[in-house]
Amino acid sequence: MKTHYSRSLIALSTTALALPGISQGDAPPLDSTFSYKFSNYKEDDLSRTEAPFGELERYDIDVHQFQLITPWGRNMALQVDGNYESLSGASPWFTSTGLDGEPVVNLSGASGIRDRRSELAIGARYYLENGSIGGNIGYSEEDDYRARYIGLSGERHFNNDLTTIGLGFSHSADDIFPTDASLFNRVASESKQSTSLVLSVSQIINQTTTVQTALSITEQSGYLSDPYKLFDVRPDDKTQFAWSNSFRHFFVEAEAAAHVNYRLYHDDFGVSSHTLDFAWHQNLPDDWRIIPNIRYYTQSAAKFFTNIDNPFTSSDQYQSSDYRLAAFGAISGGFSVVKNWGVWTGTLTAERYVAKEKYSGYTVALPSTALVSYTRLSVGFDYTF
Amino acid sequence: MKQLPRVLALFLAFAMISGCVEVRPWERGYLARDEMAWDSDPLESALNDHIFFSKEASSGGSSAAGGGCGCN
Amino acid sequence: MQATLRRFGFQAMGSPCELQFYSDSTIEAKKASRRLAAEVVRLEKKYSRFLRDSYLTAINYSAGDSLGIRLDSETYRLLEHALACFEESEGLFDITSAPLAQLWDFRNARVPTQAQIDSALEHIGFHRLHWKKSRLHLPAGMSIDLGGIVKEYAADAVASNARRLGITHGLVNLGGDFAVIGPKPDDSPWPVGIVDPRKPDTLMAKINLGSGGIASSGDYARCFEHEGKRYSHIINPKTGWPCEGLRAVSVAANLSTVAGSMATIAMLKSRDAGIKYLKDSGLPHVYMTQEEDVGGEGLAPLAAAQTATDEQATA
Repeated sequence: MKTHYSRSLIALSTTALALPGISQGDAPPLDSTFSYKFSNYKEDDLSRTEAPFGELERYDIDVHQFQLITPWGRNMALQVDGNYESLSGASPWFTSTGLDGEPVVNLSGASGIRDRRSELAIGARYYLENGSIGGNIGYSEEDDYRARYIGLSGERHFNNDLTTIGLGFSHSADDIFPTDASLFNRVASESKQSTSLVLSVSQIINQTTTVQTALSITEQSGYLSDPYKLFDVRPDDKTQFAWSNSFRHFFVEAEAAAHVNYRLYHDDFGVSSHTLDFAWHQNLPDDWRIIPNIRYYTQSAAKFFTNIDNPFTSSDQYQSSDYRLAAFGAISGGFSVVKNWGVWTGTLTAERYVAKEKYSGYTVALPSTALVSYTRLSVGFDYTF
Repeated sequence: MKQLPRVLALFLAFAMISGCVEVRPWERGYLARDEMAWDSDPLESALNDHIFFSKEASSGGSSAAGGGCGCN
Repeated sequence: MQATLRRFGFQAMGSPCELQFYSDSTIEAKKASRRLAAEVVRLEKKYSRFLRDSYLTAINYSAGDSLGIRLDSETYRLLEHALACFEESEGLFDITSAPLAQLWDFRNARVPTQAQIDSALEHIGFHRLHWKKSRLHLPAGMSIDLGGIVKEYAADAVASNARRLGITHGLVNLGGDFAVIGPKPDDSPWPVGIVDPRKPDTLMAKINLGSGGIASSGDYARCFEHEGKRYSHIINPKTGWPCEGLRAVSVAANLSTVAGSMATIAMLKSRDAGIKYLKDSGLPHVYMTQEEDVGGEGLAPLAAAQTATDEQATA
């Protein structure tokens, strides 16, 4: 029997089959979105007691971030990310003993550092019935550093889409070519590689609650020391583990969402850390939203951390006075204000971060005198089209 | 630290309690709201990841690593 | 354990609803039916014109707002389907025409004045909506009503969900709109009876449904006579007057949503245009004219004066 289907039937069938309740697949966003954010990051000056000699002013950085996400056809989305930052200031060069025998910091160079960094990444995501797969490649460049990276990720839904399992892989190949290498007896050109794997599980608990847990392992190899620090010698490989957990809950009566994240970390330099952050997204009338947030961070010192550099160490004895490898705690908090006008959304953010020896949850055997505190202000917008 | 096994058990217990309700992925009502996303402001998260990567020793974990930098 | 036929009845979308499916576990069947019923309730609540905090009410409340309102993907796709219905019916199937129906007070058989109709028509017209991707700008004074699509969509969504839950043989009935989860265990179709609008206890026709869905459009409850003429409760959004086409239509198609749209479009057209529309579709269908003539194609044989049993759900 020959069946004749009218054009009308075909047209109605096409749109009906696209209804999500019937087609039941994942889908890319309906609209394109362009986002831009400008941020200024400024570290507090050191005090004279911390740095009796030379520079006191640390980093002052301006950052521009761009992002474009656009659907492509019925099943794909493309994404472009770019950022540009310019920094000026100084960074700890080495530590030594001050006049009273206590450790002091010496910031690099009288003229300080001036650097620019650009980064561009493009990615694509393909949506399937039960999940999606995506990839991205990126490149970043600054006066003394170049990185190329690639990422691949996929996620699949199970259990009536209540559970999602994700797997991610990324690899980065970096080149380091410090400025003024011969002048300061630094390495001229080095490289390092980093490979990382992440496994995550997300679960919808009920209509207002979701949780997620993720485990990652990263392997770095190559030149891992800091070429700008005079007496910095680190191992040439490092293995890192991180376990992250996130919780989201929506309070219907209050029209607000609570975000809680906790992360545990450990690597074979001996650094372990805990990070706990909390944010409250409060919706207000007229499409306003305020987001106060607070974060607590604490880490233990690397096995080879020292707060007073030993200039006579040999190359097979690791040492670093880099404050980032010291034991310390940091408390940061901030506030974002978001306003939506139809297709435009504007965001204003302020954040203050203070790292101190006394905030540490770990025992501090050797306190670093170069711990950083900073203030960050950001303004940005999103445009949907 | 020592409390790790307890934290882990609590987390898993929490993740399993309360009968999971039927919720569709494309329209989850409350879950579809911007402020309930895992990453409600991607540029903000990227910026923070970048800052913490250069100011602390333990970065990474929740998503595959992006580009490195020579941040000191 | 042998799979047996389970039946679950519940009230939703203003009608009695029923799920019939084969399952070998009573507990699993109960769990599944609860989830499936919850899906119907979710759609009902989301697109209710009457609930103050429904999504549809929020959309209608945004009328006149220059910023418009952001649609989620489900509503966006429903609007795309509504657009297809608008185009295929040459402007007769119009989700913005609800205010017109309210003008005609069927209960008291009151006819509005032409002036009232003309004034209402100024705020009717799907083409008046400004709609770009997920952004909808509803002009002031206008509203949308997805009632003519959501019930059939719900039937299809429930059938789709049921299949995902592992149910392979079953039938969904939401107040006379049917969607097949899967044929009976012996691969035979589900017999669906179409009720005679004149005598609700008897069947007018029977359609065997092995897959897809059946939906009906008809004025079983609401219609009235005015100055000797019989008016259907479906209002023509172009003229503002009730349609004078067919009295009742039932269609079987690959989806209940499609069947419902085609049935509604056939009802909106004039009698002969509607009959031709149904015939051209090639789908099984049955119709009754205002003169009480019954016709159709692709129907199953009906025993003389077959009564509507509870096995065959009604239309």
